[in-house]
Parts: sequence; C-alpha cells; structure tokens
Amino acid sequence: MDPRKNKICQKPAEKNCRQSRADGRREFLKAAARVAAFGGAAMLSGCGGGMLGSKEELSLRWKEYFKKNYRLMTQAEKDETVRRLERLAKLNNNVNVQMSSAPPIDGVLYGYAFSVTRCKGYMECVAACVKENNLDRKSNMQYIRIFEMEHGQMSPEVGNAKFYHPVPVEDHFYMGVQCNHCQNPPCVKACPVKATWQEPDGIVVVDYDWCIGCRYCIAACPYYGRRFNWNEAVVPKEEMTKKQHYLGNRLRHRGKTEKCTFCIQRTRAGRLPACAEACPTGARVFGNLLDPDSEIRFVLKNKKVFRWKEDLGTDPKFWYFID
Amino acid sequence: MKTQISKTCLRGLLPVLLLIFAAGPAYSAEGGVVQIYKHATAPFDNEKQVDAALSLPIKFVQVTESYQGGRFWTETRKDKIQRFKCSQCHNNKPVSVAQAAEIAHGQIALDHGSEARPLSCYSCHNKAERDFLETEQGMKVDMDHTYQLCGQCHFRQKKDWVGGAHGKRISYWAGQRVVKNCTSCHDPHSPRFKKRWPAIYSPPLSKGK
Repeated sequence: MDPRKNKICQKPAEKNCRQSRADGRREFLKAAARVAAFGGAAMLSGCGGGMLGSKEELSLRWKEYFKKNYRLMTQAEKDETVRRLERLAKLNNNVNVQMSSAPPIDGVLYGYAFSVTRCKGYMECVAACVKENNLDRKSNMQYIRIFEMEHGQMSPEVGNAKFYHPVPVEDHFYMGVQCNHCQNPPCVKACPVKATWQEPDGIVVVDYDWCIGCRYCIAACPYYGRRFNWNEAVVPKEEMTKKQHYLGNRLRHRGKTEKCTFCIQRTRAGRLPACAEACPTGARVFGNLLDPDSEIRFVLKNKKVFRWKEDLGTDPKFWYFID
Repeated sequence: MKTQISKTCLRGLLPVLLLIFAAGPAYSAEGGVVQIYKHATAPFDNEKQVDAALSLPIKFVQVTESYQGGRFWTETRKDKIQRFKCSQCHNNKPVSVAQAAEIAHGQIALDHGSEARPLSCYSCHNKAERDFLETEQGMKVDMDHTYQLCGQCHFRQKKDWVGGAHGKRISYWAGQRVVKNCTSCHDPHSPRFKKRWPAIYSPPLSKGK
C-alpha cells in the first residue's frame, strides 16, 4: 500500500475521524489494488495473442510492464530492458534485433540544414527514412514531407506535398519538413506524463513505453513533426532495420506517438541520419553545432539561412538555406 | 501625499524592474541555440567515440585543399571510370579492335556550358596525355582531383564544397572528413540533375493537405 495515503488517513483518525471509516477506506484500497493487479495480469496475457505466451515471455512482459521511465533508469536498468526487448523481438517475431541504449556523446549538439535551392524533390530521403526507422507500412507513415512550392511562396502550408510527377518542375522549389528538434520544444511542455523530452545532444525523443497516446504533443507541434500509431507497426521481417535504439527505430505499438529522432541509432554512432545519407543532391547538411569546424557551422556562418516559424520562439535546430 | 510618494517610488522602480527582466532568461531569437553555438569555439575531438569513415570499403584520396585548417579526403574517380586507363587506346599505336566504335564512348552526349558557349572534349580533357585533365591555364589535373578542374569556373561551388555547404560527407558526420567528389553526383558531361520520378509518394495527411 502507498504509505503516504495511510498516513493521511491515520492522522484525522486519532482526532475526530471514526476508526471504522478509515479501516473501510484502507480495505477498499487494498481490494482495488488486488483487482488492478489481477486486471494487469489479465491484460498482459491478453497481449500474447489471446493465449498465454511461454513462461519466459510472460515474465519478460511482466518486467517490461513495470519498468521505469527511461530517464529514471540507471545504465544497468537500461541494459536490462534493452536485453528484454531484444529477447521479446526474438520470441514474438523471430528477428535478431541489436538494440542499443547509447548515451549522448559529450560536446555534441546536433543541427540540421536543408538547402531549398538544391532539393529537387526526388524523395529519396523519405524512402530511406521509412526503411531505416521501421515506419509502419500499413498506414504509410512518413516522418518527412517534401513540399513543392511555387517561386515566391514562403510557407510550406501553401505548398503541395502530394505531388507525384517527374521532378523538378520549372519555377518550383522543394522544401523538406520534418521534426525541427526545437531547443524550446512545445511538444515536451504539452506532454502530461513526461514521456517526451530533449536529450543533452538536442534530440527530442519519445519513450514509447511511457507514452499514453493522448496526442497533446501532436497538437502542440507547429511543424507537424509528430505521428501517431493507429495500429501496431507493420514492417516486413526482411525489410526491418535490425540495428535499433531504445529511443529510436524499435517497433512501435498501437497508440504511441513517434517522431524523427535524427536517426538516433545512427547519429550516436557517428553516422549521418538516413535522410542525409540518401539525399542525391546534397541538400541535407547534418553535424555538430558545438564544433566550430563542422559543415553545419560553415553553412550557418556563410549562407543565407532561415528557420521556419522562428517567430514562435520554439528555437528550432533545423535551418533552411539558400545558395 | 502618501499616494504621491508611492507613485514616484514606482516610477523610479520601473526602469530597475525593466532592467532586471531584460537581463533574465527571456526566450528570443538572440538567445537560445544561436547563442549556444556561437559561444562554442573549442575544437571538437572528431575522432573520439565514433567509427571512422576511412574504414569504409571505398577508396579515398586526400584533397590538396585544406578544410578550415584541417585535412580532408574525397572519393576516388579513376576506379569508377570504365576502361581506365584511357591511354590503353588513346596512344599513338593503331587501334586493332573489332567494333571499336561500339566500345568507344560514342554514347556520351555533351551538355555542359551555356548554349552560346558549349564546352567541347578538350575544354577539360588533356589532349596530349589522355589519362589526365587540363585546366584553362594548361595545368595537368589528375582524374581523382577533378575539383581542381571544376573549380576554375564553379569557384563558388568549390568554395562551398571545401567548406561543407555544397556536396556531402560519406556516411559519417564524425571522424575524418570524407566527402563526395564532384563527379560522384554530377555527370561531368551533363552535370545538371535530370528530371525523373520521385522515389516514393506521400499520402495525404488530412483533407486538403
């Protein structure tokens, strides 16, 4: 039982609260806890495809169900949950996943620059992102949207993101929109359960197991950077990216919010995000903002840059630049 | 009388309060991430904790230019040209190959330079030594170092390429800087990107969008 609740109840009991009433409440809470535990167990077994899974699977699920928020875990606990999730992926889908809980690298703050002059709308980045991040194929989820805009248009809100014709089209330019990884992120403030936060390296992440699916963050984001899983992620086994990160591209469940993580599983290992690596025109520049010799710093210093909706004060780490 | 005193007091306090609030952590365009990165001047040890791009199974050469005071590498070109060396055929000996016209590079359509002043083969290729390129000043350029040749006209792009605003790094943001060559992305004979179908289609997010 929660000792705090007992204390609150006991104190007035000494003075004017009738002892039997306090007992009644205590009994009720005990019974409620029992029901909740039973319900939890029933729910867990329900997750296993209607039947009880193996004993090992059930015990893993039980431990997963009662784990902490990722930010409160020690490194040992992170390693444990990662190992459990790897084992569960093996038991459920028969895939050998290598999951990581790599911490941020010291002295790194990630930044991104996108050249609106150079992007030709080939959409290679979107295809690479879907593949790398194990995005749900059933609902055609995509983190990146490329807007085709007429010359002179200023906001992607008037652009066309549904184009499907040979590109580039004359007198048009292309503007890619994805999570801006704001330094002052409104989505983080909106989350009622602290399931989303900004990591020290600037990446705004979601703890998928802590998310309750309220979608307040989606409503709060002015960049349309977040997506919601209306169903369990459907990813063909042979197309699945096996190198995963706890905060990154592991498979998402139904009712969880997700977003671009700058490919956290790649960037924390020194690699470029999948979109930047796939770009055939070099419109995407990624790097460490704290490194004065990085490409991103060169762009910010020498190019005409702007940020989308800068006036909102969200302080994005996603710049657009013009040649 | 009392109100008069408090009013003057308040008037005196106002600028002080304004100063205090102005100095506080107000969120503005000047603050935030821009200030954070502008104050970060200490060099970052790029080779710590990350894999090195130089270990990739691709060939690289060190670029003769220096990047912000440091060395950097670029992808090689020669190993990607079919039938290099060119001097295997382009020498003074007669070529005795059947269907020479077919295996030669007759398919190359030159679309480089303005319509008024298009480039020809020898604008870039060395006439005497076919394994090399040649600048306008007559400097011999190795095929792996094409940026030396391209940069004589496209000097702005070259400056951006050296700095990092044009072109792209290969696979890694950290570690030794290895970038793509000019010809990794641009066909030197027809450098403009071609019109083609997008790789994937974006389904509508909601009505009207």
